[in-house]
Amino acid sequence: MRIKIKNFLLLIALVVGSTTAMAQSNTGSVSIHFQHWANNQALVLVDSAYKNSFGESYQPTRLKYYVSNIELRQSPSKSKHIPSVYLMDAAAEQDLSLSLQPAIYHTLAFSIGVDSSLNCSGAQSGALDPINGMFWTWNTGYIYFKLEGYSAESAADLQKIEYHIGGYTGLHKANRTVVLPLAQPLQVVAGKSYQINVSVDLDKFWMGKSKTSIVDNALIMSPGLLAAAAADNIPAMFTIGSIQ
Amino acid sequence: MKIKVTISLFAFVTLYLFIIGAAKEDGYGAYQPKAIPFKIPKGWPAPLQNIFAKNKLTQQGFELGKKLFYDTRLSKDSTVSCASCHQPFAAFSSLDHDVSHGIGNQFTTRNAPALMNLAWMNTFHWDGAINHLEVQPLAPLTAPNEMGQTLEGILQFLREDEEYRKMFKAAFGDPNASTERMLKAMAQFTGSLVSSDSKYDRVMNGQDTFSNFEKKGYVHFKTFCGSCHQEPLFTDLTFRNNGFPLNRKKDVGRMAITGLAEDSLKFKVPSLRNVQLSGPYMHDGSIFSVPQVIDFYLTKINRSTQGLDSNLRKPIVLNRLQKNELVYFLYTLTDTSFTKSKRFGPDGPVQFKH
Repeated sequence: MRIKIKNFLLLIALVVGSTTAMAQSNTGSVSIHFQHWANNQALVLVDSAYKNSFGESYQPTRLKYYVSNIELRQSPSKSKHIPSVYLMDAAAEQDLSLSLQPAIYHTLAFSIGVDSSLNCSGAQSGALDPINGMFWTWNTGYIYFKLEGYSAESAADLQKIEYHIGGYTGLHKANRTVVLPLAQPLQVVAGKSYQINVSVDLDKFWMGKSKTSIVDNALIMSPGLLAAAAADNIPAMFTIGSIQ
Repeated sequence: MKIKVTISLFAFVTLYLFIIGAAKEDGYGAYQPKAIPFKIPKGWPAPLQNIFAKNKLTQQGFELGKKLFYDTRLSKDSTVSCASCHQPFAAFSSLDHDVSHGIGNQFTTRNAPALMNLAWMNTFHWDGAINHLEVQPLAPLTAPNEMGQTLEGILQFLREDEEYRKMFKAAFGDPNASTERMLKAMAQFTGSLVSSDSKYDRVMNGQDTFSNFEKKGYVHFKTFCGSCHQEPLFTDLTFRNNGFPLNRKKDVGRMAITGLAEDSLKFKVPSLRNVQLSGPYMHDGSIFSVPQVIDFYLTKINRSTQGLDSNLRKPIVLNRLQKNELVYFLYTLTDTSFTKSKRFGPDGPVQFKH
């Protein structure tokens, strides 16, 4: 009996698999490449020091953040929304790969952080597995953006700097939307591959809508108004680069 | 849309074949989970977070969760289990401990709450920091002053232990532990801890009667206590300032989570079920008996405390006899079929170290 079911399912799998393969060739593949920068140089973690907007020198050791709700817009009313959540890590750069229907896309949008509902959904896996170190175990919720390092300006233990930005309730909400019009419209043709480069500039983290200086706030490690204000600077860190 | 459906169908079929194949080859037995029902006691509301909707309650998942709950090897130095501080005979609180001990003789900040009827809760911890039963264990497992372990360390141990490999396979179809599967199994056990068979429950169901003392105590309870310690859970799940002063740990309670000044010194209203067994009392365990807790509300409370809950602004007046009646009533909330349950208790001898 089991063998019969197995054969039957195998057959279905083959049929479904082949139609899926056919369907896939009707799309184009678009990868999004995040390039990290500081002081107009490619970011090097651990071994490099940079200066922030206040002239404070710091040595970044970690940069991780969630990218979710990726959207490629064709027109204000028509867009392709990708429901997956991706965890980006400047220490292990990996492009995001998407399959898109042939069309002309003019805007890339995404959230830094994850939806509030995903903060209240119990145990999760993949990018949202708490083992990724982007989850507060003592106060439920995901860390949306994590920047860590050292600075002589820091009064904290070991002269650490730690910016763990997250929060999913009311004024503490710290997920932010990034909207990036493409330099020129991207015409996706079936079977072809494209790469959108996105620059992530650490220089913009410190001063923008709000000010985060190391001497005043070397550590932000819980949700709250401080984290929400720091999150306000995050969208400006992202700019669109070339499309290949 | 069509593509999405076909892709997910394909993934599902592949997964199914993989599971069937795995049952034959991995040597950890079959994956045939047996669903078990979650019974809602008569007259109780529906659970707030329908925790067993996505996390299907099975015998195998429950058994795995129970083993994890009683296993000291999940802590950094293999001395502390969940049950070390949540002991079944104390209604899953810490017997006679104001605060609990973690690894290396460290003290925790607050009194370990009794674990019962958790399926009806929507927040956990005295300050409500945790928003879902499944993620609750992450706090004690990783807190340096509790079990002090890393998730990586725990998963490595679980993946190398043959007994756990069998149990993970039986519960989830994969012998390899993952954070999600471990937490779901734990929630199957903790969420099943239902205490609904006290004398009070039997009286409400018409199977028993209160003594005269208890009957009068029940009237006092409804007059002075029941608006916050609401039946049938004996908590309304809110956070309130009960006039208890700032303690030596400078614990401000809910305010630490919400950042709101108005939440200063607010703590979760604890359930009074099994209150006879779950002392000491208050968030820091600084009151050692039920009569002393009542004394606090009768005479010691400072009614001009800033932010004091409005329910406590008017005096509670009970004479010595009436106070005793109230205590007698509260002791009808003791459910020994819960605390002595073989289903919830450890399967073998367990060392409660503290």
